Amino acid sequence: MLKINKLIISASIAASAALLMTACNSGATASGAAHSGATAAQTAYANGKAVIDGGVIYPVVNGKTADYVVDMQAENTTFDYGRTPTANELAAWNTDVTPHKAPPAGSGSVEDGEMLYEDQCVMCHGDFGSGGGGYPSLAKGKGSNLKKTLTNQRFDPNADGPTRVFGSYWPHASTMWWYIHDGMPHPKSKSLSIDETYALTAYMLNINEIEVDGQVADQDFVLDQDNFSKIVMPNVDGFEPKIDGPEGVENVRKYYADNTNFGGQKVNPSERCMKDCLEPTAKEVKISGTGISDFLPPISTVRDLPVEEGAVVPGAADYEVSCAVCHGAAGMGAPVVGDKAAWAAVAEKGPEAILANSINGLNAMPPRGGTDLSDAKLKDIVNYMINASK
Amino acid sequence: MSNKEIKNSQADIEAVSSDELSDRRAFFKKAALSVGALAGTSLLANEAAKGDDPFIMHHVKWGQKLGDPVTKNRYGVPSAYEHNVLRRNTRLLASGNFQASIAVTPIHESMGIITPNGLFFSRSHGGVAHVDPNEYRLMIHGLLEKPIVLTLDQLKKYPSVTRTHFIECPANGGQEWRGPQFNSLQFAKGFMSCAEWTGVYLKDILKDLGVKPEAKWILAEGSDNSEMGRTIPMDKVMDDAMIVYGQNGEALRPEQGYPVRILLPGWEGNLCVKWLKRIKLSDEPFYAKEETSKYTALKPSGKAIQHFYANEVNSTVTSPSPEIPWKDLKKGELVEIEGLAWSGMGTITGVDISFDGGNSYVAANLKGLVLPKCWTRWSYTYKYEGKRIVLASRAMDDAGYIQPTIDQETLVTGIEAVYHRNGIETWEVLKDGTVNHIQLRSTLKRDENGNVVIDKEA
Repeated sequence: MLKINKLIISASIAASAALLMTACNSGATASGAAHSGATAAQTAYANGKAVIDGGVIYPVVNGKTADYVVDMQAENTTFDYGRTPTANELAAWNTDVTPHKAPPAGSGSVEDGEMLYEDQCVMCHGDFGSGGGGYPSLAKGKGSNLKKTLTNQRFDPNADGPTRVFGSYWPHASTMWWYIHDGMPHPKSKSLSIDETYALTAYMLNINEIEVDGQVADQDFVLDQDNFSKIVMPNVDGFEPKIDGPEGVENVRKYYADNTNFGGQKVNPSERCMKDCLEPTAKEVKISGTGISDFLPPISTVRDLPVEEGAVVPGAADYEVSCAVCHGAAGMGAPVVGDKAAWAAVAEKGPEAILANSINGLNAMPPRGGTDLSDAKLKDIVNYMINASK
Repeated sequence: MSNKEIKNSQADIEAVSSDELSDRRAFFKKAALSVGALAGTSLLANEAAKGDDPFIMHHVKWGQKLGDPVTKNRYGVPSAYEHNVLRRNTRLLASGNFQASIAVTPIHESMGIITPNGLFFSRSHGGVAHVDPNEYRLMIHGLLEKPIVLTLDQLKKYPSVTRTHFIECPANGGQEWRGPQFNSLQFAKGFMSCAEWTGVYLKDILKDLGVKPEAKWILAEGSDNSEMGRTIPMDKVMDDAMIVYGQNGEALRPEQGYPVRILLPGWEGNLCVKWLKRIKLSDEPFYAKEETSKYTALKPSGKAIQHFYANEVNSTVTSPSPEIPWKDLKKGELVEIEGLAWSGMGTITGVDISFDGGNSYVAANLKGLVLPKCWTRWSYTYKYEGKRIVLASRAMDDAGYIQPTIDQETLVTGIEAVYHRNGIETWEVLKDGTVNHIQLRSTLKRDENGNVVIDKEA
């Protein structure tokens, strides 16, 4: 066990001591080696470079890594499984779009993007990207103005916090293009064409008032492969460490080798504070009111037999999984289940027409609500939604 | 008394609120009074008056009938009495209908260092995908001589490796940067779990593929509807990154990426991409959505830390907890204070415990397996003094780190970072054993140069 010296070190002295400590020595054994029998931790790789995350590794020594025995026969063997992907297979999956890999050729206008947005995105992301239903906001105004909020800290609980949306926070527009194309919209992702993705990205640039080639993307703006590289995201330099280029990985290594960058506290175990460790100004802070106690299901540690579940209502479970995302909350444009007036109006169409709408789609709702549910299941769901709203 | 009457009596005994009990003798008296009043018999009352436990003096209800055949529950399930041991969620942390959301582990009920698969915390960015293992493919390409495609069977042909590691969401505790909010251990610290994982080291697959020297990064990409992807440095790939398909002796659960996820021991759970479909080696990072818009830690300077990989050294008391407080303790009685410690940067070397909110400490005891990047159990046998205490735990690791006080941490990172909060947690234990989550912290402000400092006036 560690020897404890009951030293008294104030937090500020500890912090300055930590500043003076170098994070790693080439191949050095870290302080406080775990315990006997285990391989010692190392703060550097075999090549002498510091461990990338500021932590330690456990090289294989005498057939062990830490407390684990290593299968040295397998360790020293090379295995050759699988097959070479075809060129078409590689192209089909190699879809990432990055600051170093432009999107494929195509184009799309703000105007088309706005129409697509109103059709497929607004039900979750709100008007003009304002957010809603728990889904992220996409814009809150001019990105370069909002970037100034990133230094906000709510030391005063009534103060405004930082606004982290696409225009104010994201360093690259490539991320938006890639995510829209491969991940959006959630109920039927990978359904947008290249041009549609350009159009939606153009609309995102427009509502965040981002500059492209010196001009703010206005209502007439058209985004294409050529001007994509001329998008200037306001917060492109807002991140540390710098990860691009030949020195990117080395920058990361240096960053985590200095614990003062990320708030880590280094200590010699025998000199750790054992008395008077808190700042004299530190006070007990209790949860305000009841805090957050919206726990589902409510907390219970009782050991009893569960209450029998009620009879299963056909359609209820499928509704929860596939339909409640839009029909369960106001503001999504869809009639909310439980809203008697809204559903009385729907019911006037008659059950066949309602079912047909659910199959074919209506207004912002895609066919089958973006699911692959059968007609029979959709019928159960529709009946459930009508009955639950009477 | 008929069997039926006894059964009814027992049900009645079970219904007696345990809150009202002070010791065993009082319990039996109470039970006897209750039973006597209802059943009109003095049999149990007499036993209880003598201090005899009716659950010993009478045959238990499960002891006199046939149990289930072994053919029932071909895949076993917990006792029905354990039905409250559940992952839980809150609307605060949900997009829409809990598909881009998180359900957290009941660590107040966790035992040892393994989380059962059904209780392992579940976080996804577009819902839990259900992958057909027959249609599963893993493609590895980019800056290597020999790109490959593997089926699941082919992946499993590599000699397997089994390691025990925690996975922690870097937002564990991230709702409490500005003050305590959850009077619950499950929600304050349960965005993490620990399991024994089986798979293959990614570096062992790459051995045969001719990695080009300019490869500095990989993209790990999921096949779910959000195509969740993250950039990972080759340093981690060539150290301990695993492609895993096994979890606690069985296939991964869908919530954990069935059939395959990447496991980066100790690093952000979000980096351990689930439903893994593609690994691409590159000379430049990828700037995926979840490594720019989220999973970046904003500092008071307005700059955000990106590529914040390791979950730093951390710990918490797990018993007592707000969920399971101390009950019926007598002054002078011994009681075990238990907790968890973990570090994504190495191995836990020690945990200290404080009874005054973290002002002074004594060393607690580690117990059981002490493994790298793994939950580690610690313990302290405490003599209950019948007065209010404020418990705090502080862990250290073999990379040389110690948990910061909240003040030490927030002076560097501010209070808007969201991720990677590992400041010391405090739990107030009232005289009656009730546990509340509190924090010990100073009020911060900016000085004239914009630096974050402690507000001495506050």
